[in-house]
Amino acid sequence: MIAKIANYIKQEIANEPLDNLGEQEDLLGSGIIDSMGMIRLISYLEQEFQVTIPAEDMVVENFMTLAHILEFLSKKKGEQ
Amino acid sequence: MDNTDSNHIELSQGQMSLWTGQKLNPDVPLHNTAYSFEIDGEIDPEVFKEAFRQVVSKIDALRTVFFEKEGIPYQTVLSKISNGLEFIDLAMESDAGVKAYLQERSLKEIDISKCIFDSILVKSPVRKYIWLLNIHHLVIDVVSLKTIFESTSKCYTGIIENNLEEIEPTPLFTEYVHFEKVFQKNPKNENIKNYWAERIKTIKKQPELYGVYNKFDKTKSTRVFLELGFERSQRLREIAQNPAIRSWTPHLTLFNIFSSLLFVYLYRVSGQRTLSIGAPNHNRATKQFQKTVGCFIQIFPLVSEILESDTFNSVLQRVKLETNNYLKYAKPGMATSEINRSFSTILNYIHTGFPDFCGFPTKTEWIPSEHIDVTHQMRCHIVDFDATGEIEVLFDYNRAIFDEDLISRAPHHFLNLVDAFLGNIYQPIDRPELLSDSEKLNTNSEGKTDLDAFISLIDQFNKIQNSNPNDIALRHKKEIYTYADINERANQLASFLVTKGIGKGTSVALYLERSPEYIIGVLAILKSGGTFIPIPSDQPSQRVAFILEDSGCALLLTDTQLKNNIKSVDIETIDLNLLSESIKNQSGIDTKIVIGPSDIAYVIYTSGSTGNPKGVLISQCAIFNYLNWAKKAYTTGDKFIFPLFTSIGFDLTITSTFLPLLTGGEVIIYKESGQGPDISLMEVLADNKVNSIKLTPSHLALLQGTDLSHSKINTMIVGGEDFKANLAANTQKTFGKGLKIYNEYGPTEATVGCIVAQFDSNKHKDVSVPIGTPIDNMHAYILDSYKNLVPKGVIGELYLGGTGLAEGYANLPSLTEDKFIKNPFLKGTKVYRTGDLARENSYGELEYLGRADDQVKLRGFRIEPSDIEANMLGHEEITNAAVVLIENEKSVSENEVINCTECGLPSNYPNTDFDENGVCHLCNAFKGYKDEAQRYFKTTDELRDILISKRGKNPNYDCLSLLSGGKDSTYILAQLIGMGLKVLAFTLDNGYISDQAKGNIDKIVQKLGVDHIYGTTEYMNKIFVDSLNRHQNVCNGCFKTIYTLSTQIALDKQIPFVVTGLSRGQFFETRLTEELFWDKNVDVSTIDKTILEARKLYHQEEDAVKNLLDVSMFNTDETFEKVQFIDFYRYSDVKLEEMLTYLKEKVDWVRPTDTGRSTNCLINQVGIYVHKKQKGYSNYSFPYSWDVRMGHKTRKETLEEINEVIDEKEVKRIINEIGYQEIGEDESNQKRLVAYYTGKKRLASKELSEYLKKELPEYMVPTFFKFIDEMPLTKNGKIDKSALRALNSSQLDMDTPFVAPNGEIEELLAAIWKEVLRLKQVGVHDDFIALGGHSLAAIRVTARINEEIEMNFPLNKIFDLPTIAEYAKYIEDTLVELLKE
Repeated sequence: MIAKIANYIKQEIANEPLDNLGEQEDLLGSGIIDSMGMIRLISYLEQEFQVTIPAEDMVVENFMTLAHILEFLSKKKGEQ
Repeated sequence: MDNTDSNHIELSQGQMSLWTGQKLNPDVPLHNTAYSFEIDGEIDPEVFKEAFRQVVSKIDALRTVFFEKEGIPYQTVLSKISNGLEFIDLAMESDAGVKAYLQERSLKEIDISKCIFDSILVKSPVRKYIWLLNIHHLVIDVVSLKTIFESTSKCYTGIIENNLEEIEPTPLFTEYVHFEKVFQKNPKNENIKNYWAERIKTIKKQPELYGVYNKFDKTKSTRVFLELGFERSQRLREIAQNPAIRSWTPHLTLFNIFSSLLFVYLYRVSGQRTLSIGAPNHNRATKQFQKTVGCFIQIFPLVSEILESDTFNSVLQRVKLETNNYLKYAKPGMATSEINRSFSTILNYIHTGFPDFCGFPTKTEWIPSEHIDVTHQMRCHIVDFDATGEIEVLFDYNRAIFDEDLISRAPHHFLNLVDAFLGNIYQPIDRPELLSDSEKLNTNSEGKTDLDAFISLIDQFNKIQNSNPNDIALRHKKEIYTYADINERANQLASFLVTKGIGKGTSVALYLERSPEYIIGVLAILKSGGTFIPIPSDQPSQRVAFILEDSGCALLLTDTQLKNNIKSVDIETIDLNLLSESIKNQSGIDTKIVIGPSDIAYVIYTSGSTGNPKGVLISQCAIFNYLNWAKKAYTTGDKFIFPLFTSIGFDLTITSTFLPLLTGGEVIIYKESGQGPDISLMEVLADNKVNSIKLTPSHLALLQGTDLSHSKINTMIVGGEDFKANLAANTQKTFGKGLKIYNEYGPTEATVGCIVAQFDSNKHKDVSVPIGTPIDNMHAYILDSYKNLVPKGVIGELYLGGTGLAEGYANLPSLTEDKFIKNPFLKGTKVYRTGDLARENSYGELEYLGRADDQVKLRGFRIEPSDIEANMLGHEEITNAAVVLIENEKSVSENEVINCTECGLPSNYPNTDFDENGVCHLCNAFKGYKDEAQRYFKTTDELRDILISKRGKNPNYDCLSLLSGGKDSTYILAQLIGMGLKVLAFTLDNGYISDQAKGNIDKIVQKLGVDHIYGTTEYMNKIFVDSLNRHQNVCNGCFKTIYTLSTQIALDKQIPFVVTGLSRGQFFETRLTEELFWDKNVDVSTIDKTILEARKLYHQEEDAVKNLLDVSMFNTDETFEKVQFIDFYRYSDVKLEEMLTYLKEKVDWVRPTDTGRSTNCLINQVGIYVHKKQKGYSNYSFPYSWDVRMGHKTRKETLEEINEVIDEKEVKRIINEIGYQEIGEDESNQKRLVAYYTGKKRLASKELSEYLKKELPEYMVPTFFKFIDEMPLTKNGKIDKSALRALNSSQLDMDTPFVAPNGEIEELLAAIWKEVLRLKQVGVHDDFIALGGHSLAAIRVTARINEEIEMNFPLNKIFDLPTIAEYAKYIEDTLVELLKE
């Protein structure tokens, strides 16, 4: 799962070419992703993992790093 | 790539809207995007030229040109263009000269068919170079611009450093165009379209910024630069770090902050709460597109609903969510033109910077094109081009709204909000001030009178009477009183009062009719040093008792007759009739009591909100201030002669009483007329003795249509309620140019009048006459809910300050404290909070815009609905009550009516819409089904076949032909005979067929050799009256009588067909509705069936015909089979000309001339008269509009006929003759108070009205009482008075309680009913027929229901189940049944 997301970020979203994407890397703070990219990532997650992410959940705290995203997704999946 | 011709590339959605904008405004540089880059370094112009040439050769966007083919725009990329960089040496120019050059050059028109850019390198005076790059927006956005800038810099550096690498061509924009098209068509993306459609649904209107109405037709704009500076920018960035506020990135957080500030700003300068802002989105969906040069940006709206409780933070939190959705749905090609129309303010947050060129520091400036889209009222760009960390706000103000003055003020308003936000993000958005101190200084009245010149009312009177003792002061009927007369009598009464202990600090009530005694009484009380309290004679005794007690007055002056109304109160009562002799014996010498400015002159009781009236205390100084000003302002040079004809309890009457008496003029007294409506005004005008008058707009409305050109009135002061400009204009016309009309505004609490405008018909063209500017020594402030001054043009609550303020309310210290608050602008003084909404117009005059609370004005009387409600709640059966004022439904005044440019339908026909070409919605709708409708019509051959199809069954006649004697029915008869048919002609003699018409009929039947009978009924007049009451015309009743009687005859004589003369226009008017043709495959026989159903229902409708005539045959369906109705003109489409020629040749028909109209019926005009009077338009407007649409009449003919002059004398005679009770002008025109209540059970209206009459004056007793199950509530849980106001009079008349629709099906039905029956509001228990639902409406309603829920419910269901509740249940049950199956 995490590799899949990392791959998507590297290929489709990252502003600059990326070799590695660590689980704890700050996606926004490091400038890897900008806000438009983040929204695209969210749309991708919704489609890929069959979750609905309402605007209220679209906060930095849920998407700061790959680890955060993973935690958020499993919480979301649990709710459904 | 698709196989589009690469020379004919279509435009993207974004390009298309830019192209259209430019096309509509061809001569302005609307989309020039000009940037100047000031490069601080030594540049080699030749190298620069080469660098730019290379860039152009690699970037396709710069070689793109546009062309049009068959109206469709295309773009194509040229392989080469000759244009390049131009070098200009302006080193010898001044700085300003260079700047001017750049500005002018930026406005140069770009010919998009030849070259899309203009690129100039300018050598400037201070060894700097400026690169001006101006590119049409069609091919770039700011990201693209940066690519071009950087490529040029890189190329230039490469050449200079001799290590130029080949620059890679940027990806092609055409690929995006293709990508966008595919994306738009992908059905997966429907949800995106739905999101936006849903999002913009609430945006109904764009805000009126600073109250300026925008026609959205100008592009001219002005840019204002607002530098926030380092400190503010830094603090904004700090706040953006706050975890509770931050969004994905610091830039996005700042974007959210500025969006929120802009929402707050828009709300604060427009008052509108539902707002949208358009924000450009870079729309670069893939990595490839991030490098492409082209116009990608699309604008999508952010929508926000501002709440009463909002703080900056709460708005920001909502915006944060809104932005997430905005980003999610801002997808390629989705910014449709509907979306583009959903906003008029732009927030453009640009975080692109242009830091350096080839290592040289660069200063970037975006040079405005001085034009913006017509749909944009303002644009707000947030930029930091040079990446200095200092944020700059650029405003582009559309000059259609922002004039020089406003442009100088508006940026400060925004800045004040920024500072307030920085100060405390948790404060309410209404709290911070918008105005800066310099702007506040300009808001005060100018006129001042010297208050040292104070003379008390009575001293002024004494002075006048000393100098002119023998002048006439009062007239009453034949009695005449000189100043000396009333002075002596007032002195005697004053002496008497003094003996009773009256003096300074005591008050005396006057409960009298308008009379000399009243005026003498007032003067006497003042002479004794006391305060007078006028109580009008029409007050109910409980109210009088309350006032006497509450005021603590020492004495009551009344007369023998009125004394009986007074309940036992513990106050000494002086019956002036009884004591007249003993008063006469008192001394006639003045008391010479000295009165000071702060002594109370009078107390007037006005409607209070608690159920009791409240007394307003007016000082001598306050009334002095008003009268002293009025003397100067209203003088014409002649002495004032005023009528005293308005209520003495009404403070506008103070003017009529004192202004003449303190200036040596005359008062002419008109006593109350006792029972019934007060007709004093009519007497005043008939007498024609006064030259000045003070009255209310309601009074003026009564005079409409009266000839007053000989009136002596030259000064008219109008006050008490909102004064409509068309009423003022009509009044001016009626009285002539010599009349000066003043609109005087002033609550009792600010003494009579304190703001005034002289009406000027050239200037005052808005809906209402402005109230004007404050009088001497008075101040007006328009404040928001935090008591900040609002900017000019913005609506706020009106506060009044100055000498004229009342001292407060009698015995109500806390209410006084509430309403009379500290003046925030003038230390040590008070302001009175009026509760009135107002704003300042462009002339600097104040406009009255209604109430902030729900106080109402009825015929000038000020009424607190809560006063009535409190009294209703006193009734033990009532648990809740709400009172509203309902205005007449006739909303368009006659001189504002326009007629459809195609069919002539007047705009006051209910719920008509006109498009921009002045074409009505009916004409436009008809175009959609006109061709479909043709299927309904047939040929005369078919007609003949039908009429002879049953031959043999009746030996005598093939058909019965209805003959009115008019051209249409005569033509039919002749035609039928011509076809060889055996015809019986039938005419209804309704008693009003003209002699000539009868002659025509007799001649025709004789000439054609046809059998003919007249039908009559003794109930004809009753049927007419019923028809006038029900339909406001006579024709409906007459038609139904004809159908009924002719059916009877046909049945008796076994005639199978009745041929009618309905016109094609009438078909569409009465039965061929749009809905019948919705299904394009529908069979004509289905339509025939529906129409037959409708006809059966028509005969079931309750009315006089059904109740008075024998209609039993309509109860069986057999009748409709035995006698079929055939509309002749369904089979014949004869032109008028042809018809008239035929008639002249065959039967020698002549148009009757003795009806005065194009009809053969004398009573017809009664219908037109009543209809016009009650509904504002002729009952023929609608059917004739159909005749025009059908091509059977011209628009001109129609207009002439519907505007024909009616012989009113004859009409009145007939009205009398048939016994119709005309509804008076008053009843049909006026506003009415309506009370709603809940409780255990419904109470008789009469009982309630009697109950309230004991407590309240007549004018406060509601006309309607309506029992409801439950009060409708607003979102905030308050009683929803606007829902209560929306009920129409037939709904009010209904016995059923009002219950709002609930649930999907009820709401759907309610929406359909409202549309078809043209209602503003409908309750689920309201009866379809009582609401005016006839068979035509039944067809429409049923068809719409069937369409919406894809069912096939029969027509008669609506009559079986005539309420929404019943019908909805039926639908639900049916659907449930279907589901089970």
